[in-house]
Parts: sequence; structure tokens; C-alpha cells
Amino acid sequence: MNRFFTQRRDRLLTYQAMREGKITSTRRAPCPRCGEESSALDWSRSRQVCPRCGYHSPIGAYYRLSMILDPGSFQELEEKLEPADPLGFPGYAEKLSGLEEETGLRDAAVAAVGRVQEQKAVFVVLDSRFLMGSMGTVVGEKVARAAEYADRHKLPLVTFAASGGARMQEGIFSLMQMAKTAAVITRFQARGGLYVSCFTHPTTGGVTASFASLGDIMLAEPGALIGFAGPRVIEQTIGEKLPEGFQRAEYLLDHGFLDQIVPRDRWRAVLGQLLALHEREGWHL
Amino acid sequence: MLKRVLIANRGEIALRVIRACRELDIETVAVYSTADENALHAQLATKALCVGPARAADSYLNQDAILTAARVTGCDAVHPGYGFLSENPDFADRCVEAGLRYIGPPGDVIRKMGSKAAARTLAQSAGVPVVPGSDGPLKSIRQAKALAEQVGYPVLLKASAGGGGRGMRQVDGPKDLEGAFKAAQAEAIACFGDGEMYLEKLVLNPRHIEFQIIADTQGHVVHLGERDCSIQRRRQKLIEESPSKALTPRLREEMGTAAVAAARAAGYVGAGTIEFVLAPDGQFYFIEMNTRIQVEHPVTELVTGVDLVREQLRVAAGLPLSFAQEDVRVSGHAIECRINAEDPEQDFRPCPGRTEFLHLPGGPGVRVDTALYPGYEVSPFYDSLVAKVLVCAPTRLEAVRRMRRSLEELVIEGYPTNSALAHLIMHSPEFVKGQYDTGFLDKNLDQLLELARTCDKLSAGGSAE
Repeated sequence: MNRFFTQRRDRLLTYQAMREGKITSTRRAPCPRCGEESSALDWSRSRQVCPRCGYHSPIGAYYRLSMILDPGSFQELEEKLEPADPLGFPGYAEKLSGLEEETGLRDAAVAAVGRVQEQKAVFVVLDSRFLMGSMGTVVGEKVARAAEYADRHKLPLVTFAASGGARMQEGIFSLMQMAKTAAVITRFQARGGLYVSCFTHPTTGGVTASFASLGDIMLAEPGALIGFAGPRVIEQTIGEKLPEGFQRAEYLLDHGFLDQIVPRDRWRAVLGQLLALHEREGWHL
Repeated sequence: MLKRVLIANRGEIALRVIRACRELDIETVAVYSTADENALHAQLATKALCVGPARAADSYLNQDAILTAARVTGCDAVHPGYGFLSENPDFADRCVEAGLRYIGPPGDVIRKMGSKAAARTLAQSAGVPVVPGSDGPLKSIRQAKALAEQVGYPVLLKASAGGGGRGMRQVDGPKDLEGAFKAAQAEAIACFGDGEMYLEKLVLNPRHIEFQIIADTQGHVVHLGERDCSIQRRRQKLIEESPSKALTPRLREEMGTAAVAAARAAGYVGAGTIEFVLAPDGQFYFIEMNTRIQVEHPVTELVTGVDLVREQLRVAAGLPLSFAQEDVRVSGHAIECRINAEDPEQDFRPCPGRTEFLHLPGGPGVRVDTALYPGYEVSPFYDSLVAKVLVCAPTRLEAVRRMRRSLEELVIEGYPTNSALAHLIMHSPEFVKGQYDTGFLDKNLDQLLELARTCDKLSAGGSAE
């Protein structure tokens, strides 16, 4: 039938849902990219992807894992690791406890073992709500221990990066995490381990410059900013205008740094398929 | 009986008259402006004549042209509909002078009821309660003060020549009276060149209740129950229903008797409406009489089974009413929603346009009075009313539900309408309970529009499950 009746039905069903309280909130949030407002319900239905322009807004680590893993297969690793304040950085301890209260996270990474479409793997997911997902000792140690766990159990390793880089409040200790994670992942790969690295918006600094760029397979979410220094810093330094889409996932794909761009609703399918394809004897038990 | 009736109107009311005439085997002559060549009334009448250019003043208000049209087509009566010439006493007189029957009351009655002061005096003389206030123009501010004390604050100061809210002030207490009086008077002089002022008691949170009456030339006057027209925006009615939830049988009897008394005192003939305000305490006051058929007359037709336009035609032909007061039975409940080509989001600005698609509701208990058809161009020159959706059902709640589904079926594409707003009102708890007064829309409009906006945006994304 014609579109007028379709529009009419959509409207009526939406109204009914609003009346029945299925849409409890008429609160609307604007998209940071296109500026269009969408309701909380629409944002959650689309997994925090803007229904208008497809902007992939950052999401929490547990939420991402719940979207990807087979139900009931989630098992957290190293959940007791806690950040220290090795430098006695002013205000850092208060900031950590405040963020723990606010987000329920102990630090910016969650490590877990679970299954994606029956394929068992080890995961590390960074959470940008916690100090911009910056890598301090806990994040570095979680990545390292997850890689060692994967090595021990002959499982593939999957990381989701979302980070502002090394954590300045931990100074040299966070910079050391770059070398540590790079070393442990290189050893893991040399012994035949599969490492899938996934970039989400934004991944910059020390995380890009260490484990995140070492994947055997490199994936990213659409529109993710991936780089070391941010575009504004580069522009100011070199005094030149940067090309359109510079440091965006699509640009990096065109220039051979990425293997594939995966929209949020496709992660489960793509990861499941990749892990199944790379299954080999003695691994993925 | 009449042979050929000229319909000095357009739109759905012209169609309504054409239909009643056809059923009585009376020929119809439609008049139309150049903008209305393709309008349905010009197509469905036995004969149609162009009476002038698009501007109403040059066509539908052009008495000479309309009377000439009636003469050359050999009409024996003129139906004025509502609006346009329907309450113009001179036109009624000129029809009679031209040897035509005017379907409505005599010119003198229209004239008398058209003057607020005269209508008020007449109602008082018939023992009908009027809003307490000054009986004549106020002579001084002191007199205004004394009167305000007597009827009680808040009061309303009104210029006798006033209209559209100009020369009008609400006064809540004695200390504001003097300033308000001067301001209103100055405004009245500036706008109307007449500083004559009245004062009356302001009824807070009133309901707008009107009684349909019909009278024949034999002296029978009958009332057909009330209509509650409290859902209005700036005096523009949006939803009407009958019977009103605010009336007890005793109050209905009392008000009906008062309405008949007022009509009788006026020497009324034909269909008319007596308007009251009803205070929350059950006290009612006469405000005015409409000496014509009204937009919302089908509400009464649905609950009484009386064809009002048919009775109008019978009365004009000199026949007695086909029923007496004791034959009138109000049964069930009827609701009308007026659908206007207007944009509620832009302060209800009229939005004429081409009707790209049209689907009208149907099924049991549903009536739609409209002059729309697919492809019809709604003209910017006239009223924005495009359809009246009416329902009737045995109980009020069933009627509300029927109206909801009717508005859900209604599809008018090509220009914005207020139908979504009406649909939301049908779900408003206050409306569903019948607990509303004339302040309902002012109070709830923003919230309803916000709801409509949210709903629109959500469904525009195609995200409804």
C-alpha cells in the first residue's frame, strides 16, 4: 500500500508505545556529529549509534562485551587488579575512587574470557568513561596477563581499544606499559597465537603506539579516530591543513592500515567468522 | 414546500444543505467564487453560478450578486449557512424584499440578537439569568467600582464596540480597576472610536454550554439538548460533544427551559443556538444567541436523530416542526472534532494546499462532513475547516474510543492538520473523564504538542516496533 498508510501505522504504534510506557523517557540527546536529536529509546535501540547519521558513540566495556559474547559465556579475568598511585600525583587517588563510584569500574579495562558464536577467546575491552581509557599499570597489566592467559590456554586474543593514550598521572610507569604489552603480544604471536585488534572511537597515543597496532587482523568501527597525536596538534606543529578524513577509520582502511571496518551491529558476526576461519589444531580448545 | 434553494455559502455546510435539499426533492443553486470553480458544492448542486472573484467580500459577501443569482435562476428561498451573510440582518431583509424566503429568523430578530446589550436585556426580560454586570454603559470609574464590589471580583471590563479582545481587561481587585478602565477605554477609542464601557462578572473556569433550539412560524419552540463546546482555543471551538458531563438532568431541564424562553421572547424562527457559560458551582448565565445553523449542529443530530437542516427547510416553507418537545429524546453520546488545515506547531497558522491523498474514516457510528476530495486544492481565501469528524455511541467512553479509531483512520496528506492534536486530546485523562473547562487547551496545549513532536520524531525514524 502507499506510504501514507505506512507512516500512519508507524506513528500510531509509536504513540501506543509511548502511552504504554515502553518509551518512558521523552528525553532527547543530540548527536555530537550531526547535531540531530534522538530519544534515549532510539539511541539504545541502535546500540548508541546515531539513528540519523550513523555516528558510533563510545560505549562502556561491559555493554560492548554483552553485545558480542554468547549469553552466559562471560567470565571476567583479573577483576581484582587495582590501580595504585605510584607518584602520589595530586588529586589522582580521589579521581580514581570517584570514577569507581561513578562507573563501577576499577580501572579503564575489562579482561574476560568468553565465546563468540561458540568460538572461545580472550578479550580486553577499554572503557573511555574511565580517564579516557588511558593506559596505566592496570590496563597494561590486564593486556599482558590476558595475552599470557590466551597463550597458556591456546586461545585467540581480541582487544577493543578506546583510549586517550598513556595515563599521565602514572608517568613513566604508564609509558613502560607500552613496551610490556608490545613484548608480551609479540611473544604470543611468535608462538602461533591469533591476535585481533579492534579500534573504536577514539584510539590515540600510547595505546595506538603499542598493543593496539600489533594485531594480526586490524578492525575498526566506522568513523573512529585512530592516531598518535591528535589532528589539531599535528596541524599546529606542521602548519599545514590535513586532508579530509585524516586519522579516521575509513582513511586508514584506504591507506592499508586496517583490514576491515565493522559497524557495531556486525561485530558478533564478523568476529565469530574470523575466529572460526583461524581455528587450527592445538588451538581454540 | 420549497422548489429551488440558493445556497449562499461554500464548503461542507453548502454540501450539507445540498444533501438535505436533495432528500426533500428541492433543487439547489450553488454560488461560487472564481477560486471555488472546482469546489465540491459547485459540482454537486443542481446548478452553479459564479458570483465574483476569490475575495469573500467580492463573492460570498456580495449581496447584489447573490440576489441577482437567485432571481435569474428562479429560486424561492436562500440558505445562508454559517459565517458569511448568515447573521447579516440587512441581507435577510433584502431577501424578503426580493420575494425570497430567507432560511433563518427575520432580519429584526437577527438585528436584536446581534447587539450584546439588546440581547442581554431581552434575556433578562424573559427571566433568563445573565452574567451580573452593568445594565447600561458605565458613566464613571466610581460607578464601575461600586458595581464591581456588588457583583464581586474578578470582573471584566468590555468596550461595547469591542471585539477580538481589544478594549477588554480582566480586573482581579479594586486597586487595579482604575488603571484597567482607563487603558481599556483608551484602546476602545483608538480602535473603534467609541469609549463606551461595560462591566461584568468574570466567571472563572467556566464551561461553554449551548442549547440547540428550533422554532416554527406557528409559534412552537423546541430545544434539542445541549452541546459542550469547552474545548476551544482563543474562542475557536475544536471539539464539541453532547450531552455534557457537567449537566445534571435537573440543570439540563432548567437551562433548556431558559433557552426556549429566551428564543420565544425574541420571536425566534428557525434553527438557533443559545449560548451559556456554566460556572463550576452550577450557576449558568446567558451570553448570546447565534441566529443561524452552527458548525457543530451534527452533534445534536446524532443524539436526537433530528435532521436540523431539513427542519430549517420545512420551517422556511411555512410548515410546522415535525416533532414536539416531548418527542425529543437524547440518546447515546456524540463527539465532533473539527479538522482544520492549520499547523499547530506554528501557532495554528492556516496552511492551505493541495489534497494529495485522502482517506476518510467509516464504519458504525461515524459521520464525516467534508467538502474534500483527492486532488482538491484548499483555498487560502476562506476558513481553514476541511472536515468534521463525528461519532456517536451508546456511552461517552465508547464514543471517545470510536473517535480515537476514526482519527486513526483519517488520512489527509498535502498540508498539516490538527488531527493528531485531536487524537491526543482523545487520550488526555482530563478529557476522558469529562473534567475540563474552557481553559483546557491553554493549560494542556504545550504538553500535547510536545507529545506530538516526540511521537513524530520517533516514528519519522521508522523505529516503531
